[in-house]
Amino acid sequence: MRFLALLKKELRECLPWLLIAAIAFLVLGGLALRLMIQSGAPFRYPYHFSPGSTVNRYLLRASPLLSTTGVWLFFISIVLGLALGIRQFFIPHFSRTWGFTIHRSINKLTILCAKLFVAAIAFIISLGTVWLLIYWYASLPEILPFLPEPRLFIEGWILIAMGFTVYLGTALAGLSKARWYTTKVFPLAFVLVIIATTVSQWKLSTAFAVMIIGSLILLSQIIHTFLNREF
Amino acid sequence: MTETVLETYGLTKYYGGTLALDNMDLKIPRGCICGFVGRNAAGKTTAIKLMLGLLKPTAGSAKLLGCDSQNLTPAIRQRIGYVTEGHHLFHWMSIASLEKFQRAFFPKQWDDRFFSEMIEYFELPKNKKIKHLSHGQRAQVSLALALAPNPELLVMDDPTLGLDTAIRRQFLEGMIQLIMQQGRTVFFSSHILGDVERVSDRIVVIDKGVIRADCSLEQFREAVKKVKLSFSDCPPAQLDIEGLLHCRRSEKELELILIGTDDEKIKQWADSAAAIKYSIVKMNLEDQFIEFTAPPNHKKLFQWEKN
Repeated sequence: MRFLALLKKELRECLPWLLIAAIAFLVLGGLALRLMIQSGAPFRYPYHFSPGSTVNRYLLRASPLLSTTGVWLFFISIVLGLALGIRQFFIPHFSRTWGFTIHRSINKLTILCAKLFVAAIAFIISLGTVWLLIYWYASLPEILPFLPEPRLFIEGWILIAMGFTVYLGTALAGLSKARWYTTKVFPLAFVLVIIATTVSQWKLSTAFAVMIIGSLILLSQIIHTFLNREF
Repeated sequence: MTETVLETYGLTKYYGGTLALDNMDLKIPRGCICGFVGRNAAGKTTAIKLMLGLLKPTAGSAKLLGCDSQNLTPAIRQRIGYVTEGHHLFHWMSIASLEKFQRAFFPKQWDDRFFSEMIEYFELPKNKKIKHLSHGQRAQVSLALALAPNPELLVMDDPTLGLDTAIRRQFLEGMIQLIMQQGRTVFFSSHILGDVERVSDRIVVIDKGVIRADCSLEQFREAVKKVKLSFSDCPPAQLDIEGLLHCRRSEKELELILIGTDDEKIKQWADSAAAIKYSIVKMNLEDQFIEFTAPPNHKKLFQWEKN
């Protein structure tokens, strides 16, 4: 009941951002896909191949979809991560509501869990659902000249996970009591490294591993900081 | 033996190199209404946050209801009401949704009727959002939220700060409702001495992070005295009177602030110092507090040296 009350409160606070992200991705991502289909881009080779070279099946089928909709997914996911991190960890500091939030008959860790859980759900519901919808639409017969690769779908989820990593970095920065121009921004710099490392990976498993390890490092730091922080 | 509900041992807090609270020892028994008074930046909020485990002490410790403040369990927190300084609540919530949110944390002890009665008494519409309430109204909601779970210990950080006289009176009446219930303990900080005088039975004075007085209100009222002495010539240079806090001199007059000096000793000293006239000036609590916490060489405001 207590956890549920916290969940409701967190969800209500994140709801505007969740809706904005979902609508923005639905409109911009969907529009990008539609324009691409209308322009006939998926029917052309995205790369020039010299005679006799091996045609990369993935590049041929994947790039048109991700190069347009994927950019929006990446961008919106990062913005959502920043927005949720600021809403959950910076705003309580500025509005001085930490004291009221922390002094309750519940463990501090549960309060943190409610925040993280709601953020994860927000990413899944807003961006995950819309991405699923767009992918489903692209997979319909006669929309594209060929069915999109399943790998594409997973890559979309990696982009969503990148947004969640940005959220974790923002959360840690929000919890830090250092000055903004010193160690407070370190978590965000760390997130940049994670993102750069992830996008440079060709193998999906390696990309996932980088994301998970980076997120776990951030998560352990968030838990440690939250439990030992002064409010 | 009276049970102690709030105690601190050598509680000390530094913010970087700045000392905010110095070696605070305090014991508040059950049923006590304790006014915690001090000037701005005296260390009141720091002390309260340390007691509630919201800050970590540099040294020392605090116990609330027998539990270390740094490890307050949910069960203990459930027995403690806390009104934060400035009454910062979730702005987007309405009073009704805030009630619902708060009730979830006190499933067995939340008093619906009491909360509704208080909100009605304060004439607040339940569907109004916190962001649309005035500071005073937020204070009233804050108090109702803290009192409705019927806490054994109520800790309030400057609850009447920024409230007008009428709202402050209402707020204190709300507080008295809790006090009337037996065995409830209230620890509240304030720098409005009238409020402290109205409801407290004990006063703790803090100044620059140091506890300067911890006694019953009557004892404090008795102890702090202002004595005015007139002399035919210059007042004596050496003032060897017991309990002297500070003094102000003029050409032929001397004004002494004394602590715990009884009237007989004052009379004896006045005679020995060859004072032609002396009088013990009656002070209200606010004057006593100002004199008590004034720095040793302070001059009265707007009193300039004549050239």
